[in-house]
Amino acid sequence: MYKIFKHPLACAGLVMILMMMLLALCAPWLSPYDPNAIQVKQILLAPSSLHWMGTDGLGRDVWSRMLYGSRISLLVGLVAVGISTLIGVILGAIAGFYRGWVDTVIMRLVDIMLSIPSFFLILAVIAFLTPSITNVMIVIGLTSWMGVTRLVRAEFLSLRQREFVLASSAMGASDVRMIFIHCLPNSLTPVLVSVVLGIASAVLLESGLSFLGLGVQAPQASWGNILTDGKEYIQFAWWLSVFPGLAILITVLGYNLLGEGLRELFDPRSNHTR
Amino acid sequence: MLISFINAFIDRLKAIPDLIPYQTGVLLVVLLCNGCGQTPSAVDPALDRPYTAEDGGALLSAMPSDPSGLISMVAGESASSAISSHIFNTLLRYDQSLDLTGELVDTWEVAPDHKTITFHLKPNLKWADGKPLTSADVLFTWQLVVDEKTHSPYASDFQLVTHAETPDANTFIVHYAQAFSPALDSWSGLQILPKHLLAGQDIHTTQFAQKPVGSHYYQLSEWRHGEYLKMDKNPLAVLGAPHINQLIERIIPDPAAQFLELMADNIDSMNMDPITYARIIPSRPDLQARLNQYKELGNSYTYLGFNLKHAPFDDVRVRQAINYAIDKQEIIDGVYLGLGIAIASPYKPGTRWSHPTLTPYAYDPQRARALLTAAGYQDSNGDGILDRQGKPLSFEILTNHGNKEREKTVVIIQRRLKEVGIEVKVRSIEWASLITRFIKTGDFDAVVMGWGLGLDPDQYNIWHSSQQQPGQFNFIGYQNPTVDQLLEQGRQTFDPVERMHIYHQFAEILYQDSPIVYLSAGYGLTAIHKRVKGIVDPIPAAGVGYDSQQWFVPAPIRRHQMQAE
Amino acid sequence: MLNYLIKRLLWMIPMLIGISLISFFVMHLAPGDITSTEAAFNPKSSEESRQKLRALYHLDQPVMVQYGLWLKRMVQLDFGHSFASHQKPVFWAEKNANGDITKGMIQEALPITLLMNVLGLFITLILAVPLGILASKRYHQWPDRVITLFNFIGFSIPGFWLSLLLMYWIGVIHPWFPISGLHSLNYEQLSSWQQVQDVLMHLFMPVVIPALTGLASITLFVKNGMLDVLNLDYVLTARAKGLSDRAVTYRHALRNALLPLITIIGLSIPGLIGGSVIAETIFAIPGMGKLFYDAVMMRDFPVVMGILTIGSALTLLGNLCADLAYAWADPRLRRGIATAQ
Repeated sequence: MYKIFKHPLACAGLVMILMMMLLALCAPWLSPYDPNAIQVKQILLAPSSLHWMGTDGLGRDVWSRMLYGSRISLLVGLVAVGISTLIGVILGAIAGFYRGWVDTVIMRLVDIMLSIPSFFLILAVIAFLTPSITNVMIVIGLTSWMGVTRLVRAEFLSLRQREFVLASSAMGASDVRMIFIHCLPNSLTPVLVSVVLGIASAVLLESGLSFLGLGVQAPQASWGNILTDGKEYIQFAWWLSVFPGLAILITVLGYNLLGEGLRELFDPRSNHTR
Repeated sequence: MLISFINAFIDRLKAIPDLIPYQTGVLLVVLLCNGCGQTPSAVDPALDRPYTAEDGGALLSAMPSDPSGLISMVAGESASSAISSHIFNTLLRYDQSLDLTGELVDTWEVAPDHKTITFHLKPNLKWADGKPLTSADVLFTWQLVVDEKTHSPYASDFQLVTHAETPDANTFIVHYAQAFSPALDSWSGLQILPKHLLAGQDIHTTQFAQKPVGSHYYQLSEWRHGEYLKMDKNPLAVLGAPHINQLIERIIPDPAAQFLELMADNIDSMNMDPITYARIIPSRPDLQARLNQYKELGNSYTYLGFNLKHAPFDDVRVRQAINYAIDKQEIIDGVYLGLGIAIASPYKPGTRWSHPTLTPYAYDPQRARALLTAAGYQDSNGDGILDRQGKPLSFEILTNHGNKEREKTVVIIQRRLKEVGIEVKVRSIEWASLITRFIKTGDFDAVVMGWGLGLDPDQYNIWHSSQQQPGQFNFIGYQNPTVDQLLEQGRQTFDPVERMHIYHQFAEILYQDSPIVYLSAGYGLTAIHKRVKGIVDPIPAAGVGYDSQQWFVPAPIRRHQMQAE
Repeated sequence: MLNYLIKRLLWMIPMLIGISLISFFVMHLAPGDITSTEAAFNPKSSEESRQKLRALYHLDQPVMVQYGLWLKRMVQLDFGHSFASHQKPVFWAEKNANGDITKGMIQEALPITLLMNVLGLFITLILAVPLGILASKRYHQWPDRVITLFNFIGFSIPGFWLSLLLMYWIGVIHPWFPISGLHSLNYEQLSSWQQVQDVLMHLFMPVVIPALTGLASITLFVKNGMLDVLNLDYVLTARAKGLSDRAVTYRHALRNALLPLITIIGLSIPGLIGGSVIAETIFAIPGMGKLFYDAVMMRDFPVVMGILTIGSALTLLGNLCADLAYAWADPRLRRGIATAQ
């Protein structure tokens, strides 16, 4: 694991993520104002020493809202990917371990989910239920587990042929034991990579949904929300468009860099780390 | 190995399916340029010279959504009537000073008992296709609007007509069972449709809605759905030909994109929000040099309406407390940047119907708390939210998605009510589903919406207790026998002064009952390019769009041969 | 080959059934009776038309029967009419009693989205292949590093944000390209060559911005594919035989590295279709994505269901084409050594 520090890109990614996490965790102490405090006499002020990132259309401090918004991004990323990973690992393990018709059914399900344009699916489901942070997390989770399933299944298929698994099977170990003790821990490395990359895409997705007005609802701050509020004034209040966009970019970039770095470190099939 | 690599890579692609993570090299340039962003367009002195009226040219404007069809009595949406009002005439219209005058009719007579109105059409009226426009068309239109199968949202006023007759081609007579003072006003809103093209057609599926033929200044010449509509001058126009040859309405759903198009000089006029009007344009000399800005008191007001059938809103003290807890001036300052007026009666300020002495509920959180205490609410568990019998004082406010002003208003209300111990949840819902799922089914606590203000003071449809069926306008469930009686009386009274007293009395009762909180009557804000001349200034009472047939675009400053893009 | 084709076609049947199940499930997620939705946002909707709608969706039947009938209509590509008051057919043109033809909503929107995606894919490939080769040839040198950095930014930048910034930059500050819409207002008066130019100008931003996305992933893909292949035995052999670097790169390595690209393109179709929502909404392009977004916001169920189904069917079709192309290009597949899933 320490090898990560020798990989400059992954290292940069890790720094970005940790920085963002720190900001999110310390939001209550770092934000100079209540993120929802309305100051109608101070709307759309440009960045200054009083308001580092200016104020929005209701006079709320953008820097404070950005800080609290980072919590939303972090939360959506972690929970959505948690859900998708859980589903993916369980289905992948079952498919890879039992093979046969179970495997066929699960993999067909994967194929079906992959052939439905998932942004359409997410949009429809969220709009038909009600847009809220909980629904956004659940729906993103429920529509992005297919990659993990495939990964875990592939690992299980190859692990099942390995001697130590065959041996414990011959010794009469139960299925549960074999899955949890022998196979699962050995298949989690590639899953880690996909978790990190998954967070990146979940953060992007959430900001896209909020941008379309189907994500986090007012008055709660999220980066996508701030951007949507600001897009009408892009030529006047640039700070409302530039800062949230940059924050999304940095966060997503961080996860992508870390994920690709981890892939190169862990993936024995990848020989590009010559 | 290759395959597994592909799979890994496919998963990578799948993991970021639809997010469009775009690559960019220009990003930094964009950021650098953000500060230096002034459109490099020289100020054209020709724009400010005086010109005499001449024919020709085109006027480009933008609207947010494509009409579903151009028969407005069926479509019942503003996008539709915005276009169809250029195409179809009405019998009567309001003139510059808001008095009724004839449009298709020359003269009209109201019988002494007020139960019969006789309209005399102007002679030799023609549809744009050359066919004569007669009283048969008017009769046909009336039959259509009251037909059960048409399900027109405008039917109710016309259903009061017991029968109509056409003794000759130029005369149209309507009979009412009892006197109905808003009758003439209602006929100024009904667009007359051609019988010869619509008879026998299914009004809901007819192609006429896409290819209408009317009698007014303009006729639809091209309609590219979701992109634009073009209307050409109608040489047979009943009221004579307008100056401008062509009207083009571009469909641009996003207000941000609309403003960018205005800045890039791809449209001539648009409706603005207060921030654009009061902050952005004043900060841009290049825009000021080529745009005229118009401000007029709009014909609508925004309100917070309670579902009176739901607790706690059945208690007048709670409604009044909420009214006191909301700072209307804060909303007007913060959301409308001062471009709004606080009102105390549901009428346009400055008109005779508006109550002269009522003043809006003051912002008084102390009084609000006292009223809530009197209603039995207290914070017994110390969570900052008042409760009564173990139930917290908490409700949800709905508003329509995409209306920035209302969405901001709701956030301000949420904040203020929290200060007096009321928890408010906020939800913005797309218009159609707001109406469908919540308003029509009565499944809501409170809404922030708007009411239009007609020129006639009659508000029977909104406040009368009989108007509470699903789909009718009294969806908040307001019920007050005195108000019912006043509204009925007002509909049968013709003397303006007598009517004024009735509606003032009505406004006082509403004020006491506080079934809705009047938030603000906002200004209509319009930007029009200076190349458009002939706009009446100062704006007449009838609004900036009044007399738009007199507008003209002088040839020297016309948009260069419509190279619009 | 024929066997493969038949197998592949048969395989689509369970897929389509699965898609129908999921779309059926989505439709029933919406709370309340959908006929009440229609009734409300359509003032003219009557009891009679609600009955018609109930009949159309068989809402009074048991769920299993409803599903069966939905499946049947899906097979017949009968998606009914929009709830909006124009009541246009959802999928394809229809003639009414008077012989007037009303075009279907998907019929009008689909070609636009397809055109955008084909153009986008074309631009992506033209740029990505040379960049990928360059990065692999100069692996761990500065061209590779620059390209890698761009790739990562490309993966990570929110598309709607970039669109907004570019819209302002090359649409307003420097009005080089039209900001929104698909046609100029004088489109009808243009010569056919100018018309093509006009549409291309309007499509520039909405096509190029998402294309840059694909650029990031496909460049990386070509690069990694090249790196893999360049180390394989036969390439090393070719090199050992003394073939020139050029010959090795382009004759031996590239062909094999590009082969899997076919599959990637096939698989990127749902992403492209889904991604059209944001680009089309921002730039006001009347394609499938905008149609879908509007329908979802208005709860126009027939349109939502129609696009969900047609979009998925298109994806299946795209994957089928990709697989067939792959099978045609790669003899190994025919012998069943590898599978193209």
